[in-house]
Amino acid sequence: MKTEDLIAQLAADPAPAPADTLERRTGLALLAGGAVTVVLFLVLLGARPDLGAALSDPVVLAKTVLPLALALLALPLALRGARPGVAPGLPARVIWALPVASCALLAGAFVTTVPSERLALWIGHSIPVCLPMIVTLSAPILAGLIAALKRGAPVNPLREGALAGLVAAGLATAIYSTFCIEDSPLFYATWYVLGILIATGIGAVAGARFLRW
Amino acid sequence: MTDRNDRWGDLLRRANRGDGQAYAAFLTEIAPVLRTVVRGRGGDGDEVEDVLQEVLLAIHAKRHTWREADPVTPWLYAIARYKTVDIWRRRRGGAAVPIDDLAEVLPEDPVDVTAARDLSAMLGRIDDRAAEIVRAVGIEGLSAGEAGARFGMSEGAVRVAYHRAMQRLKEMAETKDATRE
Repeated sequence: MKTEDLIAQLAADPAPAPADTLERRTGLALLAGGAVTVVLFLVLLGARPDLGAALSDPVVLAKTVLPLALALLALPLALRGARPGVAPGLPARVIWALPVASCALLAGAFVTTVPSERLALWIGHSIPVCLPMIVTLSAPILAGLIAALKRGAPVNPLREGALAGLVAAGLATAIYSTFCIEDSPLFYATWYVLGILIATGIGAVAGARFLRW
Repeated sequence: MTDRNDRWGDLLRRANRGDGQAYAAFLTEIAPVLRTVVRGRGGDGDEVEDVLQEVLLAIHAKRHTWREADPVTPWLYAIARYKTVDIWRRRRGGAAVPIDDLAEVLPEDPVDVTAARDLSAMLGRIDDRAAEIVRAVGIEGLSAGEAGARFGMSEGAVRVAYHRAMQRLKEMAETKDATRE
């Protein structure tokens, strides 16, 4: 077949789908996946009774705000990554403030905690709940995002999947944090981060598998 | 370079509003440039032309990912590089890759007939000619030329129809349980 013939065939169908469908689909996916996650959370866990009082402590508030900020920064990166030739821009630099902030919280807590209590606070009592729940709660959001991003054209499917994983894990962790009563950064800056990394890894594998085009 | 970007951007904007002539001009002008990109990754003659056509089909299928405010050349080259690398790897990658391709066609569990039933159900929902082409090319394994001879269509028409039908089936599979827009 000659290339000119192909061009003639393609030119018979000029108008594409509207360019905003990627954002709209991603928004719908977040709403749908987020709703499933919230229902799962309410059924399986539920918020801690003293949530209002606990959040007045900035160190406890950071437990919710940092993962939320992660999701809000990873989302535009995922959307840009789905469009070929679009640079990641400012969020790609700002997002690094979050690991820096959690390391700072971890170090601060290490210094201010009495040495004899460090190990107990670090291990806590809920790792077997925390890690699986962060991964589980992120799954519906991740599935929705991957489905929506298939509409795009990520030139690095693995990275795109990892970004979707970060969005899902950030939202899931922010929601989970309202259940969790382990308020020392020694605990959450270690185990939340590990949960987020696991969910991000799952996203990367899913991206490499499902976001190729 | 900027001139080219402005000109191609203008053509593609007009194409987005349904101007087939502008779209034809756009595709005709980008083809030689993309051919150079494809050739830069190796291959000769017919092979380069095959890959170029796949790149053009990819640009066509993903043209909604270009926003009119964005420069068009980085978008174009990013697609061309991604598709070229992907296609060369698939063609030269040896035995591992064809199995990957088959996995998308064959049901994972041979006992589970749902996948096969889904496929025929989905084929029932696209128009008859498109379904015949998918059966001939995708399942019987005919070349575009052979299928064209059977249906009295040009090879090019078969390729485009097959590509569109596969896009349609992919979308159907993705949105199977969701409500369609």
